[in-house]
Amino acid sequence: MLNNNRWQQGGATRPGAATERPQRVVRPASGGETEPAGSSCCHSATGLRRARQGARRVVLVGSPNVGKSALFNALTGAYVTVSNYPGTTVELTRGAGRLGDEEVELVDTPGFYSFLPVSEEERVTRHLLLTEQPDLVLHVVEAVALDRMLALTLQLLEAGFTVILVLNMMDECERLGLSVDVAGLSARLGIPVVATVASRGLGLDELRREVALHGRRILEPAV
Amino acid sequence: MGVASLSRPFELRYPGPVEEAIEEIARLLDGEYGLAPRSVALLLLQGDEEVTELVAARQPEVPPRARELAAALDARLGEPVALSVATQRASWARKVASEVMQERDGARRGFGEVLGRWAMRPLTGLLLAGLVLVVLYEFVGVFAAQTVVDWTETRLFEGWITPWVNRGVAALIPWPWLQELLAFDYGLVTLGLRYAAAIILPIVGAFFLFFSVLEDSGYLPRLALLLDRVFKGIGLSGRAVIPMVLGVGCDTMATVVTRTLESRRERVIATLLLALAIPCSAQLGVILAILSGVPGALAVWAGVVAAVLLLTGFLASRLMPGERPLFYTDIPPMRLPRLGNVLTKTYARMQWYFLEVLPVFLLASVLIWAGRLTGLFQVATAALEPVVRAIGLPAEAAVVFLYGFFRRDYGAAGLFDLQKAGALASGQLVVAAVTLTLFIPCIAQFSVMWKERGPKTALAITAFIFPFAFAVGWVLSRVLAGGLF
Repeated sequence: MLNNNRWQQGGATRPGAATERPQRVVRPASGGETEPAGSSCCHSATGLRRARQGARRVVLVGSPNVGKSALFNALTGAYVTVSNYPGTTVELTRGAGRLGDEEVELVDTPGFYSFLPVSEEERVTRHLLLTEQPDLVLHVVEAVALDRMLALTLQLLEAGFTVILVLNMMDECERLGLSVDVAGLSARLGIPVVATVASRGLGLDELRREVALHGRRILEPAV
Repeated sequence: MGVASLSRPFELRYPGPVEEAIEEIARLLDGEYGLAPRSVALLLLQGDEEVTELVAARQPEVPPRARELAAALDARLGEPVALSVATQRASWARKVASEVMQERDGARRGFGEVLGRWAMRPLTGLLLAGLVLVVLYEFVGVFAAQTVVDWTETRLFEGWITPWVNRGVAALIPWPWLQELLAFDYGLVTLGLRYAAAIILPIVGAFFLFFSVLEDSGYLPRLALLLDRVFKGIGLSGRAVIPMVLGVGCDTMATVVTRTLESRRERVIATLLLALAIPCSAQLGVILAILSGVPGALAVWAGVVAAVLLLTGFLASRLMPGERPLFYTDIPPMRLPRLGNVLTKTYARMQWYFLEVLPVFLLASVLIWAGRLTGLFQVATAALEPVVRAIGLPAEAAVVFLYGFFRRDYGAAGLFDLQKAGALASGQLVVAAVTLTLFIPCIAQFSVMWKERGPKTALAITAFIFPFAFAVGWVLSRVLAGGLF
């Protein structure tokens, strides 16, 4: 049982004291913002050719079995199968999540260990990141296994995505007597870090608030 | 507030030569690749296929240069650059994690963790697996399939709904052909709905509940690890056990999950074994129910099906060329399942299952009805009768196999019906159960096989399974004729 809410209070920790985050210019593109670059491929089932308009697109990524689907359900109110079993999600699931007045498009993805995909379901996720230009990537990690999972955070940052690190299953840490310095981690990474227990809905308000703070990823013409 | 107070996201610097190569490639890129140039450069250096193709299509001169640089780096670093980069990242990640995580005093290993370790050791693991099977049998085979079905099928349907519908239809509808569509032996309500709602749903529901608990506890990946040795013997990795174990829940879903397997070879073998020898929840539940009355029958059934699974997998892995897979699986922590989660999941699965199964069952009823009107049904059963007789079953069992064409569970429900009517002897029950387990998958699984593996593989698998199922049934009936039961 959780006997304190040390890591929940104050919600997300972010680097700097800014409450407003400027929209980060991530990658130069010449074609305006209608068609994802390099989408000459054909993945009609996943709807990759959607024009970039309407709701912001927020993508949940992370290793298998870290609670992406549980977070997806909690944020959208939909139901996709959640289990303590790696590899339950093999396809993209899309849903709408409400953050205050704004509706965002949320995408749940199959488990993803590294940016260099090995299996088919990893390729699905990488392809999505490559072609759909998410406005925001929520990298969900199992807090206990932070040491194994941070490498992907690094790769997401290298790729230029706007990333929020979600430390899920913090109760597991509590149980094992581990504590995480959330603020320190946020400072080290230079990105917001939110602690959650998705299965019980803990930390979700903070996560929603944090997601709402990020603007649309804008594309600027190459210099 | 403002830009100045924000720190920039962290960026890892790689060893000098790697950084130089990254910079050179990044400069060459014209920047239209959906990822930051630095990341594209790293992926090119690591030989990523999708990104290499993407870049080659736009700037064909870049990937060859990246290959050159990568080869030079490999030589200079004394290891593949991909490995060097991955090692750098991993050690950075470990360092950061160790800086921000602290172990408090009094950290204790929970019972769950101990149990989790037992589950993976050969001796305790097998004992635990045996215990899980006993509980499964008691819950699904005895409680659901006997006690609950006794209520829903015998009392609710046979005792109340069926006679009522039969009387009503007979009184209100003057045409026998329409009477037959709705009621009596093969009617929509008295057969289709009864099988779906009164026999299959309670059994499948109980199984889903049990499976959800197992799934959320984290036990299944441990079972997979335990079974890994066996599976490696038949040419599959520990990872392949995951779809196999999932297949016990639903073979169709498990066939989709075979995507997680690395090589096509593994995917094909797993698809074949799922179609052939892994009974789905509905089938398993009904078979447990049918065989629970006969001592030893369940053991014979399980032994034969397991032998077929291992032997087929072994032969398939010998016959199919390809690399032996590496062992690979992820072990999540053991957790006490949360009741809300388990119930929601069970409900969602039951709903999905019922909505999928009911139309098929009803359609099957209509087809059987139409077949009987036109005489095709009699022709088909007559054609199956010699085969059915050859494996020592009474002629009525031909109908059951005809149901099996629609769905394995529909056939299993038919078998359940026959057994309740006392039409089959113990040995015959075992033969029928084994043959039906090996028999073709349901239409849904077939269509998924078609979609995931392609028409050629799907048809080849089906063409193998048909005669094979009956051949095993025939051999078994000869063996049992020696008088085991």
